[in-house]
Amino acid sequence: MTGQAFSKKALAGTRVLELGPYVALPMTGRILAAMGAEVIKVETNKVLDEMNFIPAWSRGGGQPEFQRGKKRITIDVRTPDGLEVFKELVKVSDVFMTNFRRNILDRWGIDFPELRRLRPDIIVMWQTGLGGIGPYYTYKSYGILVQHMGGVSLMSGEEGEPPATINTSYSDYHTGVFQPVAIMGALMRRRLTGQPATMESSIFKSGALTAGPALLDFQSTGRMPQRMGNRDPNAAPHGVYRCQGDDRWCAIAVQSADQWSAFCQAIGNPDWCGEDAFSTLESRLANQGRLDELVGEWTIGQAAEDAMTRLQEAGVPAGLVSQGQDLYEGPHLKAREFYRPTPFYLADRSKPAWEWEGMEGISSANPPKMTESPMDFGHYSNIGEDNDYVFKEILGMSKKEVDRLKENQSLF
Amino acid sequence: MSFQAPADGVLLPPYRVLDLTGPEGVFCGKLLADYGADVIKIEPPDGDPTRQKPPFIGDQPGPERSAYFLFYNTNKRSVTLDLESPQGLDLFKKMAASADVLIESFPVGYMKTLGLDFDILKTDNPGLVMASITPFGQTGPWKDFLSTDLISAAVSGFMQITGDPDGPPLRQGNEQSHFPGAQHAAVAIMGALFYRDMQGGRGQYIDVSMQEAMITYYTDAHPALAWMQNGENVTRVGTNSTLVIPLGAYPSKDGWISAGIITPREWENLSRWMFEVTGNEEILNEDYKGGNQDRAPYNDIITALVIDFTTRFTSEELFHQGQERNLVFIPVNTVADLLVDPQLEASNFWFDLAHAEAGTLKYPLGVFDSEEVSPVTKPAPYLGQDNEAVFKGELGLSETELASLRSQGAI
Repeated sequence: MTGQAFSKKALAGTRVLELGPYVALPMTGRILAAMGAEVIKVETNKVLDEMNFIPAWSRGGGQPEFQRGKKRITIDVRTPDGLEVFKELVKVSDVFMTNFRRNILDRWGIDFPELRRLRPDIIVMWQTGLGGIGPYYTYKSYGILVQHMGGVSLMSGEEGEPPATINTSYSDYHTGVFQPVAIMGALMRRRLTGQPATMESSIFKSGALTAGPALLDFQSTGRMPQRMGNRDPNAAPHGVYRCQGDDRWCAIAVQSADQWSAFCQAIGNPDWCGEDAFSTLESRLANQGRLDELVGEWTIGQAAEDAMTRLQEAGVPAGLVSQGQDLYEGPHLKAREFYRPTPFYLADRSKPAWEWEGMEGISSANPPKMTESPMDFGHYSNIGEDNDYVFKEILGMSKKEVDRLKENQSLF
Repeated sequence: MSFQAPADGVLLPPYRVLDLTGPEGVFCGKLLADYGADVIKIEPPDGDPTRQKPPFIGDQPGPERSAYFLFYNTNKRSVTLDLESPQGLDLFKKMAASADVLIESFPVGYMKTLGLDFDILKTDNPGLVMASITPFGQTGPWKDFLSTDLISAAVSGFMQITGDPDGPPLRQGNEQSHFPGAQHAAVAIMGALFYRDMQGGRGQYIDVSMQEAMITYYTDAHPALAWMQNGENVTRVGTNSTLVIPLGAYPSKDGWISAGIITPREWENLSRWMFEVTGNEEILNEDYKGGNQDRAPYNDIITALVIDFTTRFTSEELFHQGQERNLVFIPVNTVADLLVDPQLEASNFWFDLAHAEAGTLKYPLGVFDSEEVSPVTKPAPYLGQDNEAVFKGELGLSETELASLRSQGAI
């Protein structure tokens, strides 16, 4: 229970209502929860978040990354009784955030002006894939594809080859980590000015923002960014080099004359290091193909970790291409207690979550290490685990009423 | 220190942020500045090195013309001072005594050698929030290791899942390592200010490791969990996924289109549409129906059929016509496409910023859109443009003192 010994949390006393699946929005909620907000996540067993089945090899194992620290409750907001309970929660919340498109929220009877009537000072964060405002506002999207829409993939990959896809919902994370900044800012602003705010964000916009310098360059020169693999116009050798073992690689980036001589010394000053063809950055760039082969002849005899350590000790930027085992067992992340044990529940579409089998997994710590108000790693609740607390203690519903709404599947 | 209300239409209070970061953290200050903080970029007298980073506006090199610098420093002010000269250091300490936030990304221990570690700075300014954004964080056996964008992409494991399975691991374009650590630091800084000003807390120190921040940007792939649970190492899938079929980027008549067919219903819709267009009955094969795993044995033949289909359309046609059939086709955009995209236009993503040397350009600033609050719209600062306002106006130096500092090269 890291952090329990410390006193207050940054967002203690703030209540956040979260409605929506996938990556970006839940990531935002998890961060706010780690800061001390009471984040109430509304879900239903009837339509499970697909993230319960991603990664495909671990049903539910990935979910603590996105849901830790939250109070998780089951409400089917598509039912009249469910919608009423949901609206009662709006009245006692400081922030409402959702990632459903407007046509879907309309169908369910959730509209922002009405939420504001229920809770006049509520902060609303409305996040979608492609954008809630504008011509595509009804369009469906999947996060893993939006990396292509934001312009990043056309800059990734080898020259002349198809764009490289990262096997993750990459742009979601930008959105997920932008949003807590905006929400905390809006809460401060509300305190200081009395004004609430409604903010609309999208995965598309966060992804496109990361193309920044290339967007300015294109406007000025008409130049399209080129895919250049792992190469760099100002450094050589610069790339990944195969090491001993299966699919093992070490990245090396030699950026200056000093680093070049340190590199040569670290690998034992082979004869080719002294050739004119490699004496300056310009000549190394011009002879990069051969240079890469020669560097690769050295790395292939090394373990990736050893190549990294030897070059780093000589003052040359180098790093192994980390695999799962390196991340989980490597000395550095271990010393920083980055991965920690977390329970999870084996997702199964055939039964409600409270009948799922409990398992042991791991998830990652919040990257910022804060000295006074440390971010809480957070308890991982199963779906619906906090129903009693939220319905009875926060909303003051009677046991009879809760049972009736469970019976008619509104709170399921 | 200020806990003043934000200006009309601005999100953040005008918190004073001193920004000493290089590329590792430059986006953190930008994000806070774009939403209303008073961020002062502190540069060495000859300028931040990224002012010399190509490409340059109009391909004419110059310290005010780097596209990288112009993008990453919007809405900041600039002062110059030499932290390694006694006079410069003294000026900096005066600024730090009244600042809300200090961000830095120097090698671990460098601030301490200058006498600027948090324990010292907080004695003069107990409310100070200080954040360090470094490749491996402040502790651990690799804390002093050197890094670059490529090295950060490697050690975080991002490269392991990017590229072709038969080829080398690939990094993403456009220096993506400059975002995750900086974004997490901005979150922590906001939390620390919230704690200080709304909960009655003190200032604090924040340690952000870029490696850890980057690992949290692909946790839906989660290689560490795969190793812990199954003893397997996750690897690259190339342009097209082998887990979800079809999912990936495919050629179109005029470029690339990405597609993701995830539910059985979506496959029904797509296969019927493909048959209508190509007349090839093969796609209706019963074996291909069902969830995406059911198609795994037929990946090659299905991919070939999908390409035969996608190359008959433009990317725009597939994007819009797909949505009419409840199918997700997403254009693979170039920067040129983004600049004219009607959705980005409609949601106030772009802001025209006029810079005397770089001219007026469209900047991507509106990461969220709101009727109540908008980004601030000042272009990146000229080198040292705020020296007078800060050193004379705020620290109370005289013209003579300023001239003497200039002649000594301290500012």
